[in-house]
Amino acid sequence: MSGHEHHISSDKLLLGVGGALLLLTIVTVGVHYLALPSPWSIIVAMIVAVFKGTLVALFFMNLYWDEKFNLMILISAFVFLALLVLLTLIDTLFREIPVPSF
Amino acid sequence: MANKTSTHAHPKHLYHHFIDSEQQFSAAKMGMWIFLGTEILMFGGLFAAYIIYRAWYPELFTMASHELNTIWGAVNTVVLIGSSLTVAMAIKSAQLNQKRNIAINLGITIALACVFMVIKYFEYTHKFHLGIYPGEFYTFDGIEHPKANIFFSLYYLMTGLHGIHVTIGIGLMSWLLWRSLKGDYDSEYYTPVEITGLYWHLVDIIWIFLFPLFYLID
Amino acid sequence: MATAEASSNMKKVQVRRYKPEENADTNYLNAESGLRSWLLTKDHKRIGILYLIATTFFFFFGGLLALGIRMELWTPAATFIEADTYNQLFTLHGVIMIFLFLVPAVPAILGNFFLPMQIGAKDVAFPKLNLASWYIYMIGAIGTIFVIFAGGIDTGWTFYMPYSSTTGGAVTFMSFGVFILGFSSILTGINFITTIHKMRAPGITWGKLPLFCWSLYATSIIQILATPVLAITLALVGMERLLGIGIFDPALGGDPVLFQHFFWFYSHPAVYIMIVPGFGVVSEIVSTFSKKTIFGYWAIAMSSLAIAFISFLVWGHHMFVSGQASLANMVFSFLTFLVGIPTGIKMFNWLATMHKGSISLKTPMLYILGFFFLFTVGGLTGIALATIAIDIHLHDTYYVVAHFHFVMVGGMVMAYLGGLYYWWPKMSGRMYNETLGKISALLVFLGFNVTFLPQFVMGAQGMPRRYFNYIDQFQGFHQVSTIGAFILGIGFAMVFYNLVKSLFNGEKASANPWNSRALEWQVASPAPPHNFDHIPVLIHGPYDYHKPMADFQLGLAQTNGHEPEMGTHIEADKEVEMKD
Ligand code: HEM
Ligand SMILES: [Cu+2]
Repeated sequence: MSGHEHHISSDKLLLGVGGALLLLTIVTVGVHYLALPSPWSIIVAMIVAVFKGTLVALFFMNLYWDEKFNLMILISAFVFLALLVLLTLIDTLFREIPVPSF
Repeated sequence: MANKTSTHAHPKHLYHHFIDSEQQFSAAKMGMWIFLGTEILMFGGLFAAYIIYRAWYPELFTMASHELNTIWGAVNTVVLIGSSLTVAMAIKSAQLNQKRNIAINLGITIALACVFMVIKYFEYTHKFHLGIYPGEFYTFDGIEHPKANIFFSLYYLMTGLHGIHVTIGIGLMSWLLWRSLKGDYDSEYYTPVEITGLYWHLVDIIWIFLFPLFYLID
Repeated sequence: MATAEASSNMKKVQVRRYKPEENADTNYLNAESGLRSWLLTKDHKRIGILYLIATTFFFFFGGLLALGIRMELWTPAATFIEADTYNQLFTLHGVIMIFLFLVPAVPAILGNFFLPMQIGAKDVAFPKLNLASWYIYMIGAIGTIFVIFAGGIDTGWTFYMPYSSTTGGAVTFMSFGVFILGFSSILTGINFITTIHKMRAPGITWGKLPLFCWSLYATSIIQILATPVLAITLALVGMERLLGIGIFDPALGGDPVLFQHFFWFYSHPAVYIMIVPGFGVVSEIVSTFSKKTIFGYWAIAMSSLAIAFISFLVWGHHMFVSGQASLANMVFSFLTFLVGIPTGIKMFNWLATMHKGSISLKTPMLYILGFFFLFTVGGLTGIALATIAIDIHLHDTYYVVAHFHFVMVGGMVMAYLGGLYYWWPKMSGRMYNETLGKISALLVFLGFNVTFLPQFVMGAQGMPRRYFNYIDQFQGFHQVSTIGAFILGIGFAMVFYNLVKSLFNGEKASANPWNSRALEWQVASPAPPHNFDHIPVLIHGPYDYHKPMADFQLGLAQTNGHEPEMGTHIEADKEVEMKD
């Protein structure tokens, strides 16, 4: 159990990741002002967001070097969130009267 | 159980029920990760509501998003990313035993978090000014949609819950700052810095998603 | 035996036998004394006892409410209380039994006490968090009880929208109380998962983890993934009442069915938070009282995880008549049937464990036999309810009430009482009275069936649940049910009497009265303050009844590189090889 060294990130890596995150923020705002046609703007924005989130998780939160179980916790949280969303959508998207009204 | 003969093997921070510091450190970290999992699902309920309402009323979301200021949202994104970076630097400083740098980096983090909250404050008050209040207090009539109130309910709930987390983060970080000034953290023991850092990064990640979902859809 | 180099992942450790001490002077109960030492304790065993005291109180309180409900139903319409009071009674009964008793019962009492002992640890990973979870529980619980004085609440334990946003009373307060209770449950889950991952003694591989620990592991997964969604849902209910946010309230443009999705996303998995720890207790007791290795160790362990996972996919079976899309109805109905598979796997493995075992019918085992019978009925009626066409007829009738009482009381409470009797000697250091134990077990079983079997019949005939009034046709069933409830109540009171009495004049318990092979029985009774004075080493599985007892009492001859304490003379009497 002991003898395991903690990973220490170099300044270069941390600043690099920070820079990448900044760049991606500029990209996603830039794309926003391009006003892509309807579904595409959100798709691009979400892809960029997932990418940014992954960078933070892997390199700021050290998951890249950490024991794999911690990564598994993160992934399963998202998987179960996806279950909540998807199984609810198979109701809300397929109702006979689609929009709730009383 | 007492083991007075070998004090070097039992540092001050080590609790009696752990075998060594490494076990204690990795347990604390795993505990924090599990907690972060619960955070994701707690925010997840709101994200789910967002997705479901958005699937029902896509046009509402595009219209209502006009009322949100993309530039300030972007500035806040940069501010939070910066604070994530400084937290990571604080941890690195601890690992390298640079005690002064821990405090400096934590100080910058707190300052950035406060900037974030101040900007949020101005965003909120600006909306209140227009009559964009949460829930049934909503009186704004600039959006031609019967469910405009729901969009802003979601906006206030999600950014509000996030704001609460930022505030808690500021509290935790201030406590870390105080203890690091006392010199409590070094390369041997920096568990609280590490796991508070994890928390802070998650708060950042959540904002990374909130930002495009609210500010970048018009 | 290969050399160290040849098998690089095996290492040799020096072990010696540590026989459990009989009549030890210090134990966790007398190591410290005074109220303060209890209220500030970080010992997982004492925290377990704190939970035991609190939940027992709430259990009997909830039970009294139930007797009130049953008495009211002796005649149609008002028997001795008003309709409004009746609505508050069943709401409070449900909330108390589910959130204050069933959810914490086995994990927070028996789990807290025995999980660290079963894996050879001195405590859970986060003892302070453990104590905090008890305080959070108490705050939430007192808040919940306080609702009675703050105007009451009549929504049922399910808080369905839009009624819960429009009715008077203390709904906001109650949802806040349950919100807080949720955090207590989350903290326990975090603690258990980390403890199981990080605190296992040498030799306790995943394959030697007692099944009780596996079941707590599965439960904790549900607790941490589902409870946060309940928290946010209840927060939204509170917001709906305070700010009118309109997410759920149709009057403000919201969707009340969405509330049901969110609520059941937690609450169906939550029924497994309640029952899965019970499965773990059953595994321990069945093996111990059959004197046989558990049959299908991996099948039982993995089916707990499978149940935990599937339980997240089925919540829509509570919503077949809510106006949910037919597609969702079909998907949820199909997925619900899948739950029966892992549950059935468990059942068969337990029965196979008993097959040709030398079964001793002590009180704990009687409860488990009761569990088999009642839980099977409860589970199978669940499958019936999961069939859409049948559920349209049975939804919101007493059939559903009977179903969930068969699983929750017939399943979980039976397993819990079995576990309590089983571990009582280790917790209290005393033996309960066996004859009284058996009589009360039979009384509980009998009372339970008299109470709830008639409810299946009247439910199928159309008696709706949560109704204050009913047509004369149902009076006979209701009266039988009420009589049963009193028999059941007497049974529970006898259990309480038996256990409490044993504290005063029970026979002193030996370290291992059941001759179990599990690790928690290899130390003195009551348990020593720090569980083990050595670091235990396991070379066999916890159910290997064919191996000699001495093999289960091993510990490291050296304590992890530290020099042994002055004056102790440690001698290795054995060398074993184990995976690093
Ligand atoms: C084989 C496994 C099970 C199946 C297939 C199943 C199925 C169902 C179904 C379909 C309903 C909805 C009935 C209706 O409202 O019309 C239901 C209700 C319920 N079940 Fe189960 N169930 C199972 C096991 C359990 C277990 C293990 C528990 C608890 C320990 C449980 C507790 C409940 C409760 C509390 C309700 C009623 C909730 C309410 O409306 O108040 N069930 N079950
Ligand atoms: Cu269910």
